[in-house]
Amino acid sequence: MSTLRSVRQFDWFLLCVLPAIPLCGLIVLYSAGFNPEGGSLKIFSLTFPVASVACAKQFVFIICGIGALALAALIPPDFVRRCAIPIYLIGVALLIGVALFGVVSNGSRRWLSLGFVTIQPAEFVKLGVILAMARVLSNHPPSSGGFSLRQLFRPLCIFIPPMVLVARQPDLGTALVIGWAGAVLILFLGVRRRVIVGSILIAALLAVPAWRSLHDYQRQRITSLFNPTQDPRGSGYHINQSKIAVGSGELFGKGFMQGTQTQLEFLPEHKTDFIFSVLAEEWGFVGASVVLFLYFVVLQRMVLLAGRCQDLFSSLVIFGITSVLFFHAVVNVGMVIGVLPVVGIPLPLFSYGGSSVLSTMFSFGLVFGLSRRKRGGSFQNARSLR
Amino acid sequence: MSHRSEGRGGRPISLKGRIVAAIIVAAAVFLGLIFRLWYLQIGQGAAFRDRSDLNRIKTVFVPPPRGIIVDRSGLELVTNRPSFAIEFIKEDAPDPIGVVRQLADILGMDANLLLSRMDKQTRRRKFEPKLLLKDVSREVVAKVSAARYRLPGVFVSVTPTRLYPNNQIASHLVGYLREVTQAQLQSGGKDYFLPGDMAGQSGLELTFDRYLKGQRGRQQVIVNSTGTRVGELSSEPVVPGNTIQLTIDRAVQQAAERALEGREGAIIALDPKSGEILAMASAPTFNPAVFSGDISAGDWAHLQSGKRLINKAIQGTYPPGSVFKIFMEAAILNERVASPGERVYCPGSYWFKGRQYRCHKKSGHGSVNLHTALVESCDVYFYTMGQRLGIDTIHRYAAAFGFDELSGVDVPHEAKGVIPSTSWKRRAFRKGTDQKWYSGETLSVSIGQGAVSVTPLQVARALAAAVNGGRVMKPILVRGVSAGDSGAIDSAIGKPILQKEVPVSAEVLALVRKAMVGVVNEGSGTGHKAQLDPELKIQVGGKTGTAQVVGMQRRDAAKGAEAGYFEDHAWFAGYAPANDPRIVVVALVEHGGHGGAAAAPLTAEVMSAFFQGQRSRGESSLTAHQKSEESR
Repeated sequence: MSTLRSVRQFDWFLLCVLPAIPLCGLIVLYSAGFNPEGGSLKIFSLTFPVASVACAKQFVFIICGIGALALAALIPPDFVRRCAIPIYLIGVALLIGVALFGVVSNGSRRWLSLGFVTIQPAEFVKLGVILAMARVLSNHPPSSGGFSLRQLFRPLCIFIPPMVLVARQPDLGTALVIGWAGAVLILFLGVRRRVIVGSILIAALLAVPAWRSLHDYQRQRITSLFNPTQDPRGSGYHINQSKIAVGSGELFGKGFMQGTQTQLEFLPEHKTDFIFSVLAEEWGFVGASVVLFLYFVVLQRMVLLAGRCQDLFSSLVIFGITSVLFFHAVVNVGMVIGVLPVVGIPLPLFSYGGSSVLSTMFSFGLVFGLSRRKRGGSFQNARSLR
Repeated sequence: MSHRSEGRGGRPISLKGRIVAAIIVAAAVFLGLIFRLWYLQIGQGAAFRDRSDLNRIKTVFVPPPRGIIVDRSGLELVTNRPSFAIEFIKEDAPDPIGVVRQLADILGMDANLLLSRMDKQTRRRKFEPKLLLKDVSREVVAKVSAARYRLPGVFVSVTPTRLYPNNQIASHLVGYLREVTQAQLQSGGKDYFLPGDMAGQSGLELTFDRYLKGQRGRQQVIVNSTGTRVGELSSEPVVPGNTIQLTIDRAVQQAAERALEGREGAIIALDPKSGEILAMASAPTFNPAVFSGDISAGDWAHLQSGKRLINKAIQGTYPPGSVFKIFMEAAILNERVASPGERVYCPGSYWFKGRQYRCHKKSGHGSVNLHTALVESCDVYFYTMGQRLGIDTIHRYAAAFGFDELSGVDVPHEAKGVIPSTSWKRRAFRKGTDQKWYSGETLSVSIGQGAVSVTPLQVARALAAAVNGGRVMKPILVRGVSAGDSGAIDSAIGKPILQKEVPVSAEVLALVRKAMVGVVNEGSGTGHKAQLDPELKIQVGGKTGTAQVVGMQRRDAAKGAEAGYFEDHAWFAGYAPANDPRIVVVALVEHGGHGGAAAAPLTAEVMSAFFQGQRSRGESSLTAHQKSEESR
């Protein structure tokens, strides 16, 4: 009975709108992963013939993700708060473990082998940082006028070490996500003007050495953003082919399964990082805009939920998760349409990939759980929020 | 509704403003993304659609086999053979440079040469092959095929290429092919030539390029990012080039080329009734196959020597010498400046305005009439009559026989030659004193010297008119153009074309012919060596010509190499059979000396080949006829 009651306390608007995104994702992924010769999906010892293996697998991931969402939604907020710091510490410990004993693959040290399973702690750390930041910031909120430099010391100590560890793997994408989440949470609560001006100056001074410390391929990705035709077969190839795919979709797209850039594999990574190009090519400006609008609706609803929470910790966790989702969506789409550099960041609930689906849906579960309406007065709250 | 949390020092902090700000920022960012999408998909959409088509649609051209060229009875003059090339798809090799080095190693070549050749070729897309070696031997193909597992990405392609059988027969006439020039690419019109195509550059290969070329097959295929064909949009089949049947008789052509071996000059043989050219030879000759690839410095020097590339039968202009007297005689009789019986005394030279004009026979011919003057080629007789005719009348008759104009033969770069006249002199010179015609010059023109210059083809066409009843025919080279089995393409091709009629009476022409028979057959004639084997029982008529290159004194004084260069050009223009001419043969040997000695035997060789061919053909048709009679 209590479970049913708690389900009824969830935000129904978000619960209704949210599934539209992975549903659209599955349709696009069906086309992106379509194999005319057919394929097969293996679950334990069972084999199912499927036309699009990626789509079928993603479907399984989403089913698992629903479980993860439900699980996370049912965790009591107090328990989440108590676990925040331990989760964060485990995450950082794992990162140190990766730095010391990690498995190298494709030139970066991102995986940790635990004997029976290989894990990528960076994904886990993102959530840990959000939780720990929320915990620290809610315990030590800023004085009026925003954080002073001294007050910033503690939160900076929370998110900068894992960010540096991840950046050194190197995994620039995830490091940027961690940095973004930390910075947005601090700015959400406000920072004194002096500190902002000062940090902008320091950032400007640090820009040159930071640029130098980047790897060659990372620098090339940024320069090729501004001049993709310079070397169309090299680093600009991805952006060029993606822009061709997006642009050639025109108003209504080439039609489901009709995207030539996708089906003939001119588009690289079209099941994962460049899935949005497939959408834009096959469904055109109309399809791409509808999906972008769905993301916006979900995000703005989450921001409103963050403002509706009973306590500052929950608000900050929801806002942190929202900001990470926003960052993923904007950076991914910006990369695909050639306004941001190529950073390997998936489009949440759209890109193929089990860990991304599971962690995103688990995060949504936390959002649902932390934004649960308490009995009495909560309906008024909800109505006035619309 | 504002939600408040407890701030530091118990003061609540309001999140409401921050929430609204966050939503506004997010909305602005999403709006920016949508604007960008609008720009790419609507603003630039059509351009990007073209680029996506460029990605996936690949046009594959299949080169057509070029039309072959055959002689009048269908014997091959030029045909095709498969040419093998070694090509390379870089993307199929894990280590492209290593593969090229290995290939160079197998073939014993310089790897850097192949690598630089590879780098020079730019490609429009990935997986497009690069050409490493062109037209390689079967031995190389075998070596590469044997090592194909060590050479990923390397493959052998086959395209049809020209083959010149029969030891480069009729090279000047057929012409040569070479990679299309920039100018041809531009003037050819849309899609006619593609860069790298082989195009006719001279001879019939040039004039009949449109027929010979054929139509390249074109396939529009859909490819994926690895260049693999996944479908076909459209295809146009290959249409092989048309077969061109010439009027040339291969046996006669071979005889003409054999006759010229070791000499510099030209021989042309034609049918006087139809104007069909039976043989057109120029010496020295060249190998047209040389032009298909890169020409080495040595080859180039060889091609330049002896004006090897010039088709002397149509491009070479020479003073005709005494051959011109044939047409002088027609003019003299037709203008009635002398009766056939009028006699002129030749003491060996002719005095005119205080200057001595020599006859080629120093001792003189004595008393000659029109007939003996041509038979013995007496210069003094023609000096006298030329004076009576005047230069413009001479020009009028020469022009009537087709000199001083292009014959319109179907091979390019034909020369026009010169027949001087008073108006020509006014046109050709600037200074007033140079423009004046001096009557002494008329004497030189009367014996085919001075400013007179003609091509061997013009002489043959004019002689044909003299012996066929006065009809100047267009020299025809092509009998027909056919497309595979479907027969003639253009029925107008190959029909005899009468260009004009010479305004000379039949009686006059009969007298001229009689004199030409005398040249070859009478005791005092200059052209004995043009006679055919008595067994053939065919009488030949004709005229010798010995054209001075420089003045006689200078020629006689010259020694050594200079003597060879100053040696006279030898001419013989003949026809046979005398009563019903079926072939006209003109031979020119540069610096050959006396026409009767150096050129007349060559025409005899060519005529023999022609009549022997006729006889064996006649016999075989006769036997076939007899057999059918017997079987009845």
